[in-house]
Amino acid sequence: MDQEIKIIKRKVSGFVGFANLPKQWHRKSVRRGFTFNCMVVGEGGLGKATLVNTLFNREIIAPKPVEELTVEDENEGVEPVLKIETTSAEIEEDGVKLKLNVVTAPGFGEAINNTDSWKPIVDEINSRFDHYLEAESRINRSAITDNRIHALLYFIEPTGHSLRALDVQLMKLVHEKVNLIPVIAKSDTLVDEEVEEFKTRVMNDIKYQKIKIFTPQIYENDDEEVTANCKALIASFPFAVVGSTSEVQTPDGRTVRGRAYPWGVIEVDNESQNDFVKLRQLLVRNNLEELKETTSDVLYEKYRSEKLEKMGIEQDNTVFKEFDPLTKQEEERALHEAKLAKMEAEMKAVFQHKVSEKEKKLQRSEADLFNRHGEMKTKLEKQIQLLEEKKAQLEKQKSLPVQPAPATQQKARKGFLR
Amino acid sequence: MPEAVGISNLPNQRFKIVSQSGATFTLMVAGESGLGKTTFVNTLFQSTLKQHDDPSERHNKFTSTHQTVGVSIVRALLEEKNFKIRLNLIDTPGFGNNVDNADLWTPIIDFIDDQHELYMRQEKQPLRSERKDLRVHACLYFIRPTGHSLKPLDIEIMKKLSTRVNLVPVIAKADTLAPAELEAFKARIREVIEAQDINIYTPPLDIEDPASAEHSKQLIEAMPFAIIGSESDVEVSPGNFVRGRKYPWGVVEVENEHHCDFKKLRSLLLRTNMLDLILLTNEIHFETFRSVKLGLSSESGTAEESSVKKPRRLHNPKFKEEEDDLKKFFTEQVKAEEQRFRQWETNIVNERNRLNQDLEDMQAKLKLLEEQVKKLQVARK
Repeated sequence: MDQEIKIIKRKVSGFVGFANLPKQWHRKSVRRGFTFNCMVVGEGGLGKATLVNTLFNREIIAPKPVEELTVEDENEGVEPVLKIETTSAEIEEDGVKLKLNVVTAPGFGEAINNTDSWKPIVDEINSRFDHYLEAESRINRSAITDNRIHALLYFIEPTGHSLRALDVQLMKLVHEKVNLIPVIAKSDTLVDEEVEEFKTRVMNDIKYQKIKIFTPQIYENDDEEVTANCKALIASFPFAVVGSTSEVQTPDGRTVRGRAYPWGVIEVDNESQNDFVKLRQLLVRNNLEELKETTSDVLYEKYRSEKLEKMGIEQDNTVFKEFDPLTKQEEERALHEAKLAKMEAEMKAVFQHKVSEKEKKLQRSEADLFNRHGEMKTKLEKQIQLLEEKKAQLEKQKSLPVQPAPATQQKARKGFLR
Repeated sequence: MPEAVGISNLPNQRFKIVSQSGATFTLMVAGESGLGKTTFVNTLFQSTLKQHDDPSERHNKFTSTHQTVGVSIVRALLEEKNFKIRLNLIDTPGFGNNVDNADLWTPIIDFIDDQHELYMRQEKQPLRSERKDLRVHACLYFIRPTGHSLKPLDIEIMKKLSTRVNLVPVIAKADTLAPAELEAFKARIREVIEAQDINIYTPPLDIEDPASAEHSKQLIEAMPFAIIGSESDVEVSPGNFVRGRKYPWGVVEVENEHHCDFKKLRSLLLRTNMLDLILLTNEIHFETFRSVKLGLSSESGTAEESSVKKPRRLHNPKFKEEEDDLKKFFTEQVKAEEQRFRQWETNIVNERNRLNQDLEDMQAKLKLLEEQVKKLQVARK
């Protein structure tokens, strides 16, 4: 059904004021604060905790005590259980507050048989979506909190080869549910050419496997610098990163976050040495809100619609038409006419029923009347006839001599009485 | 020292996203006709968005268009400094033109409720990215500048509006009131609003931001805003034009804060509190409607059915008329039939009398015969 809706298009020249809305949002968002739920997945020992701590420049995930790292040795033969852990932190910077939740999956990929090791991770993502879906369907949803995973940092081991089967399997399972950001961990073990080559291979695999990874949007009216920066980020996928929270001294005397090797110092925040800065830009500085927006508007919506359809809830597209008072009036008119027609039919039926009942009743009493009259009349006529006959007979007898014939007379009389 | 993490940039990201996606804003104007609703809207957005009704139509109270209070929608896509909004203007023309105004808020209230309900139904669909949103973010209620107080009708309508929408009462055509009269009028209206517990929209006071709190305070103190609308510019000094109205005794300037509260109202609606209006609508008014609706339907058991199949009140006075006509038609038919039956019954009674007479005659004849026979028999003996 096509609807013709007239829309006036204008550019206002003077000051009207609605262009201030983004500024209002800016202020409002500072007041409300921000939340961000980030999942970090990768094999143990790839520096996940360190990287997260480096990203937010504070200890968010405490390093595991050494005895925990060796616990496997004591339970020889027992498969390590993958569990999901959440760590939260409140970070404030220049009056802007961020509630950060980091979800980790310790034990991923560490078992001998990793066939199902992805399951708890996928379950966690799904259950957070389910939770949100349940919450938004509740009558009171003022207390709704967004626990959905907004980004998943997937740590690729710097093998220099390519993606492993487990990497591909996990990424394929989650790429339509989360903003996937693959990173090459501990990239200081690869020399520049190796990094480039490894990146190319990984990207080829990702393309070949049709895995969707998060790509920031470039807007038409972004200025050149923003666009160039965004393109540079995309060109560096997947980011090869190094994490370190400790400060080291460079040969030229600067104190930097980095790792000191006998052969030199790798600086975390040095863009020419690794992609840490780019990753931070994408994850926090430039695109955190976009990650959330995509999660909410695209990924969650997709999950939700598939789930509802599976539950047998049918799409009703009639509710999406533009509201039009005229159509509405017509609908009401139709409704009214239907109501009138129904009223008329009902009244007519009652009326006709009543009329025909009354008619029948009257006809019946008419018929009764005639019948009764007819009966009486016949009876009377018969009596009159009999009497007339008798009278005639008597008159005849009067002129004749008396004859004894009482029997016949008696009989006739009996008949008369009946 | 390593650089900042970048969290302080998050509000800028939000700013950018909002700038890109634009916004939807729905403004409703309500109030008696002739108070300058159309002019005000055009003044506010500095564009002729709404055409004035044809004056000849406007005053012909016998045409059908003005006998019903129909809601009209003007949709516009406006751009200011690269920022786009989809603006919906909801007008309620003809309001107050009827002699009996007892039920005239129903179409307005129904419109607001309908939009909430429609949005609710859209939200439930598996695929819902194409949502159409006409939920009213602010309703300007135009008060006639009588200088007295609010009329019972105003109070009634404002009460009904204030529970479901951000209500902003304004004094229309304020150039008919002198400053002292205006102050007294405002004070009386504020008193009534308070006494009647009418919940009008008030901008929030942000304690952490003294400048914005002060601005909000000024807005609140000026309520209800006294406004003047004008779609034409007048020359105040050679070569200097302002938006206003030129009287023989002077020029009223729309944007002069000493002349009226137009600027304050514009600030409240757009410049400072537009987002607040939008969020309040979504988080309070819509949620309240939704929870009441869901609460009701879950009580009655059949959640979906009852909300969908609710018999709609039809408030078109013509409908009522047609129903009455139909009833009248049947009543007349019934009367005609009753008349026919009465005649019929009379006929039956007459006929019965005639037949009875007939029988009596026969009976008399029979009696006579019997006597004659008896006589003959006696004579025989």
